Amino acid sequence: MASLRSCLFLLTLPLLAQDAGLEHFEKKVRPVLAQHCYACHSGNVKMGGLDLQTGVNVSSFVVRGDPQQSRLYSAVTYGEKVKMPPSGKLGAEAIASIREWIELGADWPNASVTAEKKLTTNHWAFQPVRNVVPPKVKNEAWVQTNVDRFVLAKLEAQGLKPAAAVSKLALLRRVTYDLTGLPPSLEEIDAFLKDESKQAYAKVVDKLLASPRYGERWGRHWLDVARYADSTGMDEDHIYPYAWRYRDYVVNAFNADLPFNQFVQEQIAGDLMTGPERKQERTVATGFLALGPKPLAQQDRIKMIYDVVDEQIDTVSKALLGLTVSCARCHDHKFDPILTKDYYGLASIFASTQSFRNLGRPGSVSYLYNAPLDAGEYGIYQAHRWRTYSKRVELEDAAAEDATRENLLLRPKIAEYLVAAWKAQHLKKPTAALAEELGLERRMLDRWVDLAKKDADYWKTWREATEETIAAVAKNYQITYDATATKWDTQLSNWRRRYAQEVAADRDLPERPKFDGKDNSFFAATTFGGPMELTDSPRVAQLRAEYAELERTMPAEPAMASAVTDGPSIQQRIFTRGDHLNPGEPVGKQFLTVMTPKQPHDVKGSGRLELAAWLTDRSNPLTARVFVNRIWQGHFGEALVRTANNWGTTGEKPSHPELLDYLATQFVEQGWSVKALHRTILLSNAYRMSTTVTAEAKQADPSNRLLSRFPRARMSVEQIRDSFLLLDGSLDGALGGSMLPSGKMKRPKVEPDDMTRRTLYIPVRRGSIPTVLATFDYGDATTSSDGRPRTNVAPQALFMMNSKYVVEHAKGFADRLIKDESLTDSSRLERAYLLVLTRKAEPQEVDGALSYIASMAQKLGGNDARAKAWQSFCHVLMSSNEFVFLP
Amino acid sequence: MPLPRNLPRRALLRQSGAGFGLLGLRGLFGAEAPNPLGLKNPHFAPKAKRVIFLFMHGGPSSIDTFDPKPRLVTDNGKPVPFKRGLTFGEDAVRGLMKPLWDFKQHGQSGIPVSSLFPNVATCADDLCVLRSMVGDGVDHGAALLQLHTGVFSFKRPSMGSWMLYGLGTENQNLPGFITIKPSLGHGGQNNWSSSFLPSDYQGTAIGNSGMKVEEIAKEPVPYLISKGLPAEHQRYELDMLQNMNRKHASANDHDPELEARIGAFELAFRMQVKAPEAFEVDRESEATKKLYGMDDEVTRDFGWQCLLARRLSERGVRFVQCSHSYKWDQHSELQKLHTKNAAEVDKPIAGLLKDLKARGLLQDTLVIWGGEFGRTPWAQGNDGRDHNPYGYTMWMAGAGVKPGFVYGATDEFGYHAVENRMHLHDLHATVLHLMGLNHEKLTYPFAGRNFRLTDIAGSVAHGIIA
Repeated sequence: MASLRSCLFLLTLPLLAQDAGLEHFEKKVRPVLAQHCYACHSGNVKMGGLDLQTGVNVSSFVVRGDPQQSRLYSAVTYGEKVKMPPSGKLGAEAIASIREWIELGADWPNASVTAEKKLTTNHWAFQPVRNVVPPKVKNEAWVQTNVDRFVLAKLEAQGLKPAAAVSKLALLRRVTYDLTGLPPSLEEIDAFLKDESKQAYAKVVDKLLASPRYGERWGRHWLDVARYADSTGMDEDHIYPYAWRYRDYVVNAFNADLPFNQFVQEQIAGDLMTGPERKQERTVATGFLALGPKPLAQQDRIKMIYDVVDEQIDTVSKALLGLTVSCARCHDHKFDPILTKDYYGLASIFASTQSFRNLGRPGSVSYLYNAPLDAGEYGIYQAHRWRTYSKRVELEDAAAEDATRENLLLRPKIAEYLVAAWKAQHLKKPTAALAEELGLERRMLDRWVDLAKKDADYWKTWREATEETIAAVAKNYQITYDATATKWDTQLSNWRRRYAQEVAADRDLPERPKFDGKDNSFFAATTFGGPMELTDSPRVAQLRAEYAELERTMPAEPAMASAVTDGPSIQQRIFTRGDHLNPGEPVGKQFLTVMTPKQPHDVKGSGRLELAAWLTDRSNPLTARVFVNRIWQGHFGEALVRTANNWGTTGEKPSHPELLDYLATQFVEQGWSVKALHRTILLSNAYRMSTTVTAEAKQADPSNRLLSRFPRARMSVEQIRDSFLLLDGSLDGALGGSMLPSGKMKRPKVEPDDMTRRTLYIPVRRGSIPTVLATFDYGDATTSSDGRPRTNVAPQALFMMNSKYVVEHAKGFADRLIKDESLTDSSRLERAYLLVLTRKAEPQEVDGALSYIASMAQKLGGNDARAKAWQSFCHVLMSSNEFVFLP
Repeated sequence: MPLPRNLPRRALLRQSGAGFGLLGLRGLFGAEAPNPLGLKNPHFAPKAKRVIFLFMHGGPSSIDTFDPKPRLVTDNGKPVPFKRGLTFGEDAVRGLMKPLWDFKQHGQSGIPVSSLFPNVATCADDLCVLRSMVGDGVDHGAALLQLHTGVFSFKRPSMGSWMLYGLGTENQNLPGFITIKPSLGHGGQNNWSSSFLPSDYQGTAIGNSGMKVEEIAKEPVPYLISKGLPAEHQRYELDMLQNMNRKHASANDHDPELEARIGAFELAFRMQVKAPEAFEVDRESEATKKLYGMDDEVTRDFGWQCLLARRLSERGVRFVQCSHSYKWDQHSELQKLHTKNAAEVDKPIAGLLKDLKARGLLQDTLVIWGGEFGRTPWAQGNDGRDHNPYGYTMWMAGAGVKPGFVYGATDEFGYHAVENRMHLHDLHATVLHLMGLNHEKLTYPFAGRNFRLTDIAGSVAHGIIA
């Protein structure tokens, strides 16, 4: 529970004297009370009228400042008659803490955590977006778009000049990787070099933005923000079988330039939006809320649900608002003007939203909610399933009814048949006569005699019986049979009951038990395929046939999406200190007070529609800003607000606040068009600067916060891995679809080395991130990411040196070069440089490479020495700094 | 303490040239790039320098191993006389079940150990038995997460990551936090992830519980072994690469990031040469291998794990975990399967303790043994026990803990810890303390606040410290 109360007491803030006592109380005393005392002194049970959770009546048990006079202290020290807790004296440290708290004045924290704290609203991020006029600059000639004015004005204020323009090919490489995640092709290089028009670059930008590869690259940025993954992570890490549809939705949204406000609305409340168009997409879009990490095996289901709600609040607030609203789960936010009431206002919305279809059987996991894409088709499928399983219940009940009746007659006679069969075998009496004589059924007796011919261990005693002993022996057989039969009957009827229960509850259906023959092989042989096996009555046979037919005609599961839907609307209460067992005041569905002059009235359903509208309202100071900041970060590596998921008071201030507001204003005015935003940024001269740093810039702008040059960036794992696929020609360029192994698997194994689809499509299990991704800073897909770190560490070097993946693709690339017989070795090398580094090789580089290849071939020797030497050189080129650092 | 600045992670990470515990970049670009894994001063003099955690995944039964309960013998079969907490097999709860194995007192200390662990029993005088462990997770996933990270419903850094973050590591050619054959279930990587701590502190998995030892030994660390060229030719290739890289770097003002990547390749190459030796368990003498039970099919796997753990520890790896996974979850067939499980680990564990002692390593190596919870005093079904996180046993041995000592107690049925309760937060606080770290001071700023392994709880169990 401590995590729920995760608090900020670790941070020592300037404290008043009373606060010191309160801090001590929360840190040292409350945990002790919660652990040892709440059971009898809180909630419904308040023994002695004392409530140690809310503090009711505490004052009559303590004397402020004087532990010795305090009954509470005397009880915990086992000083007098009353010794608390009765299960055993508290540890010395705990007792000392209580003592100290009393000495500090025994202050009880204000019982109402909802007490309005004074909202400080002057923090820059909460101010409305300003309509900024782009500044004047000295060097007007440098300005390509208004973006440049903001950048240049800052540089000029510091007496700095922007870096020189990057070379034409380097620019092509930069922008192609930036927009598509892949290098330019030979044809694209050629065309760009030939095009000497002023629009050459703008044309390339347009072409790249129109490529479906654009959505794959920029959708991935959003997927990081949306902490996308294909499994639930946490405890059980079950697969989300339809997560890929959300991934594809995101890619398509970027490709189609879906207005960002609509993109947000669909992800928050797509299922509730009306209108026939994009109905399926809108359902899939809510995967944004549905695909977070989930503790499916958590047995405290209420806690599980509120952990999921918390995760949703955390993701929505970080991803869209750049705020850490989750910090207000247990208390008002310590640094930002976010109230616990605000948190539970949002919790009320998500608690009224369903993420689970079914909370599962106690002791088992809960079931996720999945939405059908076609309600009609799904209705038919569900009805068929229901009919099938109900039929099975009916069938099993009917069969059991028959069995009970028949067994009642048959079972008591086992001993008699065993005696008769013994006589038939040992005294050679005909079964017809025996049956007549003993009042048994001949057909039944024949079956016993047949079985007795079997050479099985269980017949040993029977076979060794004599005429004198056979009656007693048979009785023993009867007794063991009956004992096992009773157990088996119970097992079966338990299963039937459970099966019917699970059908009714729509949970996983238990398998029909199989008899474990080891226990009693006599029982098994007689009951299954032997004389005691029952034949179906006509009624049972009919039911069995109907069931088989239903199973045969079961339609395939229709297309589904990992999504959310509205559940019953909850009257949420504030959970005191985040503890769901401690509900406090009720709270309505509402948004962050600091940003909401008028809270919503008459909220319909969960309130997600209203939330979506609030998030995308033009007056919301954060949504547009936070997003344009992310787009800037995608292009420049560093964002304007570097703490892209924390715009609160502990976050960083923007490096170019006016530029941020200008971009946000433009963005909204251009209909929230993401592609228009890209153009605004990409066509600037700022984007076309080289990475070269001058001595002055190094001095005045060491960390490049002023953007005196273009920041050099190591490629992402997707860019590296996809380039390799492209270079050796093995890239499967298909768009979208599921890459999960077929069949229902809880935790399928995925082997990225064997996949030739783009890295975006590798299914990602949170509990087992593929090594190649983990090695290159992919992150853990567990919380909204504000950008990946870009480390340069030894495990990555090992991957480049030794992984099968790199070695094989280097070989593939070398083979392609060698096989092209129209090329000379020199032109082969020139082509390699163009393809891998997007530049022409210098003559001395060609010479150097040729001599390396020759000497490596000599070292290696053998028939394939040349091929191997080429492979080695390609390996070098593909591992080089120049390859992985974009210009 | 001043309000911690929310440092942008990326800015920090950009500079981390090593990862995996590789030192040596400092010379390349001076104070700009502190090695995140370089040795750091502890908060105070440590008793332990390193940890070996022997994790019994599934939850061994304390009352059948280290915590004898005579009351269960006398009340065997009687209905459960106390209120049961949240459990798993609610529909299969039966009466109280006596311990299925006999207890005997061992050594000078007379610590009782059941007949499940005859070899560990010979080390009784080295054990510090913690009989009052308490956790919050009733299911395996939650319990594993809390045991490893302190928190059971969020993803947080693992204790090994916190130790690396706090102390760095002694051997820059090996990962500083290694988990051998971990389970991929019940949280999987989350149990050894660095979460929001820089990825330098993440645990390195050596294989996983589903793999065979031979398979793992081929390439214990991902990409460590060259599959293409032999070493001398690979060096030649690397020289070509580094030539190109250096030219590129000098044309680009020796950007520290470019230099860092050049350094990373050198370090990787060095590591590729030096690290495999640590994993070559076969180099050990026959006598040593025998001590760990590697000559017996039953004990070979865990014996290999324990012996590898010793090799890694003596080479300075800060935190090593061995996992007997996922074995100990006897909801049924307790008798049969606990016997089998104990037989697989008993000799290797005793071998490890004896070997560490003989080599003088036990005095600064802390060995921790335990599962994610214990098991219930009542029977589940006919012959099983359910999960019990409310009072169970772990033990420690070695650096800084009282040898031959029993700490804490459960109630007379072995269900709830009642004396010197030691919550997992307290365990973490205590282990950090033994390593010379104050758990309240070992913090990291993330998402606007300071986090620590023990979150807002945890007290050091001074009573167990020698």
